[in-house]
Amino acid sequence: MARESFDKEIRFLRMLALAGGAYSRQQFADRLGISVHTYDKTLRYLKEMLSTLQQGGPQEHGNELSEGLRYNYYESADPLLLFLFRAKSLKETETIRLTLLLTALQSQERTARDLQDICSEQMPVDLPLPDEKTVRGDLKYLEEVGVIVRLSGGRPYRYIAANDLIDRLSDDELLDLFDYVDVIANTQVPSVQGYLLRSTLKKALIKRGYHPDTMETHRYKYHYHSRILDEAHLYTIFRAIRHCRRLHFLYLSPKKGKNYASQNTNPLFERETEGVAQSTLPLRVVYDHQYGRWYLIGHSPRLGLMKFRMEGLTQIEEGEPVSEEEFARRLAAAQAQLQHSWVTDTLRPVQVVARFFNPDRSGANFVRERVEAQGQWGTITEESDSTFLYEITVNGIYEIKPWLRSFGSSCEVLEPAWLRREFIAEWKEIRNYYESVREDF
Amino acid sequence: MNLFEKIFNYQIISRLDETGSFALTAQERTWLRMTLNHAASTEAFAPDTLGKLEEILQNEDAADIRNIIIEKAKSRERQIYHPLLRVLRRIIMRDQGIRLTYRIKHGGIKSNQSGFPYKLEYNMVKREWYLLWYNTRHHALMSTKLQNIVAAEETVLSAERADAVKDLLRRLLEARKEHAVIEIIPAYNAELSRILYAFSCFEKSVSYDEGSNIYRVHVTYLADESEFLLSKLRFLGLRVRIVEGDRLKDRMSESASKALSRYGVGD
Repeated sequence: MARESFDKEIRFLRMLALAGGAYSRQQFADRLGISVHTYDKTLRYLKEMLSTLQQGGPQEHGNELSEGLRYNYYESADPLLLFLFRAKSLKETETIRLTLLLTALQSQERTARDLQDICSEQMPVDLPLPDEKTVRGDLKYLEEVGVIVRLSGGRPYRYIAANDLIDRLSDDELLDLFDYVDVIANTQVPSVQGYLLRSTLKKALIKRGYHPDTMETHRYKYHYHSRILDEAHLYTIFRAIRHCRRLHFLYLSPKKGKNYASQNTNPLFERETEGVAQSTLPLRVVYDHQYGRWYLIGHSPRLGLMKFRMEGLTQIEEGEPVSEEEFARRLAAAQAQLQHSWVTDTLRPVQVVARFFNPDRSGANFVRERVEAQGQWGTITEESDSTFLYEITVNGIYEIKPWLRSFGSSCEVLEPAWLRREFIAEWKEIRNYYESVREDF
Repeated sequence: MNLFEKIFNYQIISRLDETGSFALTAQERTWLRMTLNHAASTEAFAPDTLGKLEEILQNEDAADIRNIIIEKAKSRERQIYHPLLRVLRRIIMRDQGIRLTYRIKHGGIKSNQSGFPYKLEYNMVKREWYLLWYNTRHHALMSTKLQNIVAAEETVLSAERADAVKDLLRRLLEARKEHAVIEIIPAYNAELSRILYAFSCFEKSVSYDEGSNIYRVHVTYLADESEFLLSKLRFLGLRVRIVEGDRLKDRMSESASKALSRYGVGD
């Protein structure tokens, strides 16, 4: 059976989150390579899902879904995009059955036969009653995903919900656990399961009488919330890496637009026909904190080290294995190549030297603090009371350049000379952008 | 492990909510077990609780997905947890007042400042915790690093007073909001994805004019966040231009001129 693919939903939500509000229905559909009809259908499904999830909840964001997902971090720390992972479609009978079973097992041990009786009593009359095989199948599934446990002891087996994590903690401990999960899910990667757990713990606290506002004390500023969309592929890649297996996928390169002269090509969301079938041995994934983006690092026999933007991966499937020895060799080579990459660049190493200027004002030296915090493996040497030098050997300058530029006049590039010239040229052009402003002075 | 499990389905979750039931999956427990190795866990829990959690989770899969992840360009992590988080979140939760003693920027100490704690805020760039609070005497919205707080104690506040201050704080925050419009230079539209990702940490919307093929990002930010927005704009360099937001435009212009003077280039 083919695995249900959420590629369409992921791309849809990414476009809403990143370019929210920019496009008309037709433009949006065109860019995703779908019909307006499919656009409408997908949007309707997402809206229905969101409104079902928000029933009785305090949040009302997302009601203007078609306008784009506007992110206001002051409203809530609830990750809006999490609902992607709730999109698996199920028949109504199955949702009712699984809910009945799980509800019956919340605090009481029961056998398959007990549960079948409960289903017979409680299933809505217009729905078919499950037979014994169906109930056993459901129990097997629930046990596999870990939401129920089979108790020790012989047949007939007895089951109960696996709620220890909630039931065994006092109110105060549960609150500490909620906070911990909230903090870790928001500040570390990966985080989807953390957010799912956060949402369960929140309900558990409300059930114990805590006000919903209790869970709204923490805020996270400058958060790349769309990063969780790309975590969708993370576990497929993890499994392939653990088993030293190749991955096959259709790659929609977000960078491809660069090769085209036409500026009308929107590189964000290309039609599927523009994708390229790829096969690679996955080695590592890279998370770039500057943009909140993920990369897959792999090896291809023909092209060597490969880098793919995670958002371009679609129709991903596991392929044939390689030997552990080969995997280890490829991995070691990739790690060596990436060692001096600011993010993923593996161009020739360049020695960059920059002078940084301490702020004029007394008090905290925020320039120094930022260079120390973000300068990766670069080294700092004192130069004068007002300046210090920063040196780094880095693979190519394309990825470090924006960072150096972000310091504005607090950073002067000294070496290499050509990079210094580039900075001068760019600052001149940026100054030209605001020429009219200067004339107003 | 599959993030699109049947059990996560929205209809199941909503039906479970109706009966007050929970579905805690092995995936979530595995994630929790993995994160408990983090040093933050010892600051987040009392030793007894941590021991209990470790015991509950001992049979979960110990495979650590973080082994395959390489994090790049990350700010050094100063702190994930701060000992004051547990204390302060409980005062906030109870809608009580606070008396704070804290160190200030240029040296020196402010003692026994009365106020109302509003939110605990983590800055992902500075990787540090702040307390947002209302200083009753100075009628000002304050943001104080937890690192700088010397002492914090709870003070009694009536429910009416707490509601009034919360209302006031919401209005103060709203009044601090500023707007800017950033235009993406069409020659860089091929890098649209990268540019929009860079803005995805702000509250923003995007507009597109098909005729001119111009994208504009409408950013809403708090006044004290303008420095961070500016650093993002300098980060993107020639790709973007501010079209609305006079103060930001002035600052960018000034920044360019000052940078050029560092290189010995005058007007």
